Amino acid sequence: MLFAKTVVGACALLVVALELCSVYLVRRYSVTFARVSRQYMEAVRARPAGPGEPISVLLVGNSLLLDGVDVAQLQERTSKSLRIYPIFLEGTGYYDWLYGLHRLFRHGARPQVIVVGLETYSALDNGVWEETPALLFDARDVLGAASDMRLDHTATTGLMLSHWSAFWGMRSLFRRRILRALIPNYDDLFPFIRPDDLTLPNGQDLEAMVSARVRNLRELCEAHGAKLIIVIPPTPASENEVRQMVNASEKVGVKALAPIDTVKLAPNFYEADAIHLNAAGAVRFTSALADDLPKTVSAATNHISQ
Amino acid sequence: MLFDSLLASYFFYGWWDWRFLGLMVGATTADFFIAQNLLPGRPDSSRKKWLILSLLINLTILGIFKYYDFFAGSFVGMMNQLGFHHLPLPLIRIILPPGISFYTFEEIAYVVDVYKGKVAPSNSFLDYGLYISLFPHLIAGPIQRPGSLLPQIQKERSFNADQFFSGLMLIFSGLIRKCVVADNCALLANAAFGGQLGPPSFWVVLIGVYGFAWQVYGDFSGYTDIARGSAQLLGFDFVVNFRQPYLSQSLREFWRRWHISLSTWLRDYLYIPLGGSRNGQWKTCRNLFVTLVLAGLWHGANWTYVVFGAIHGIFLSFERFFLPAAKRPQDAVPPGGWAGALSVWAQRVFIFNVFCVSLAFFRAPTLGAAVHLLAGLGHFAWQTQYVAALVMLCVFSIPLFIADLLMEARKQEYPFAEAPYAFRTAMAVLAFVVLALFSGSQSSTFVYFQF
Repeated sequence: MLFAKTVVGACALLVVALELCSVYLVRRYSVTFARVSRQYMEAVRARPAGPGEPISVLLVGNSLLLDGVDVAQLQERTSKSLRIYPIFLEGTGYYDWLYGLHRLFRHGARPQVIVVGLETYSALDNGVWEETPALLFDARDVLGAASDMRLDHTATTGLMLSHWSAFWGMRSLFRRRILRALIPNYDDLFPFIRPDDLTLPNGQDLEAMVSARVRNLRELCEAHGAKLIIVIPPTPASENEVRQMVNASEKVGVKALAPIDTVKLAPNFYEADAIHLNAAGAVRFTSALADDLPKTVSAATNHISQ
Repeated sequence: MLFDSLLASYFFYGWWDWRFLGLMVGATTADFFIAQNLLPGRPDSSRKKWLILSLLINLTILGIFKYYDFFAGSFVGMMNQLGFHHLPLPLIRIILPPGISFYTFEEIAYVVDVYKGKVAPSNSFLDYGLYISLFPHLIAGPIQRPGSLLPQIQKERSFNADQFFSGLMLIFSGLIRKCVVADNCALLANAAFGGQLGPPSFWVVLIGVYGFAWQVYGDFSGYTDIARGSAQLLGFDFVVNFRQPYLSQSLREFWRRWHISLSTWLRDYLYIPLGGSRNGQWKTCRNLFVTLVLAGLWHGANWTYVVFGAIHGIFLSFERFFLPAAKRPQDAVPPGGWAGALSVWAQRVFIFNVFCVSLAFFRAPTLGAAVHLLAGLGHFAWQTQYVAALVMLCVFSIPLFIADLLMEARKQEYPFAEAPYAFRTAMAVLAFVVLALFSGSQSSTFVYFQF
């Protein structure tokens, strides 16, 4: 019996030790944690512009925007009309930003315009970013998202544990690191064995689902005095998918921007994964976004900045 | 205490859908009362009638809920092919009640054993109800025998610290088998069978069937360990269900090591009543074939399982027919030295691969899909991701294989079962870290839950 108690006690001690180590590692070494925490703090301070001031714009999205937007260049080129507050977090999608925006508003953020980067996959994805969801969510948001996504008890518990425990949130990252060390070319295999691969619905179903989700985002933003704009980052999606995204958004009165014609963007503007833009692609996308965004924001807010 | 356990087990079973609880309680009640009429002192003709009534009730429940749609659909499909359309044979499309294959077999074992005088009928519904519904074995076995579990329920149990500790170790062992080995191998098997790894080729088949072989073994033996461990925490000993099956040197030996509670049930309640090996080679082969086909069908109402069973039936018959007892690998004394070891390992590899081929039918959704996959064996097209897939398969399967070798050499029920407590405690803590790192965050059901 003594040893049974020892097993339980040692496991409990181990939980504490792993948690402390994970918290230390995350705070000391995680670039993502540092970046998102800083961006979040700035975004919470976003306020409506006074007379003659640039419009406050919250720009949120996943790694497609993180890699595809040169924030410094965008801010420099739009500084006369826009004050941009970016938050980019890898692997995020619709539910992350629906509940992430809920919490931002609760924490006092009041941007005039919210630009959400969504392409078809992240718009329709039924998941949330599971590594340290505390970056975007409060506990009640986790439960709300789990309920919306109809997660079962196991997945909901996993998400709650990720929210409260740095180790639980980061363990998939640790696992990938270990597997990368053990398995040659593990990254080549990963896309084939990912369990949560999303199958896109067809035509009208896709538009209906996107419309419903964009409407939810719009209603949330409007309830807090902000206008919503969707920006569609370039991916090797078909022309049809982009058009469906634009149609679906505009059906519910939300402007959807596709600054670059994704079909015409040459493969040499993408990274080796053929999904994310490389440096040359980012320059091109940022430039196009800097041209389009002020006009769209201005139209959306009916605000003449100059 | 018994009443609490019975109530807890019924609550556990009814949690998913309370309506199926009524079915189980109904069948349990019927068999409990029928068994009272099977006492050896009563007239034989009356006892036989009661036995037949019980078998009819149990097999009808299993037949309707598990097999009716399958046979009705197959019959209508066949008649359509023959030109007879619009047959008035409706499908009932009912969800399979959880654990029905397991508890039905336990009830049949009980009434048959009472009829044969091997066990006395239980005088207490609590005892018998708990034998059928004790929650660790209720959903996916191991299939309990009345002679083993009923006496444990009937006698007073006291807390045993060694048994409790062993139960904890078995639960850790089971969790590692399921959450680490099976769930990670499942990623590879799903990708291969789902076509994500490319069109069927030798390498895709290899990754798919080997991945599934380790998935299904880790999954089911893991469930068994968790069930046995949980039972030990409560003071019960369940039968062993797996004894390192991938070290078998013949298919006959394989079925003595794989899902032992099912294979011994089929031996005692089907193969031997059919005549067993008492009536010459041909009838023995026939009995083996029928038993294994029905074993395949027990797994699910699909022709893929029938073919899975038929492959085993044919191969076992082949072994029986062409390899008389003295020449059977597991009965022969292997020569010593390298030649002996090589011979043993060649047989083990061969039997493992025979099982893997049959698993293609077990895992594929249809017969066509299984044949389509296996047809790819002649193509050797290579893709870069196969290296990573094969290494990943090794990373997750080799530790379980080494554990099996250790358990085989030391005749233990879980690795290091005889080691000092302190060492086992350290291993449990290590297992805890491995579990925390390598178990998935999505719920992943046990393969055998569907049966």
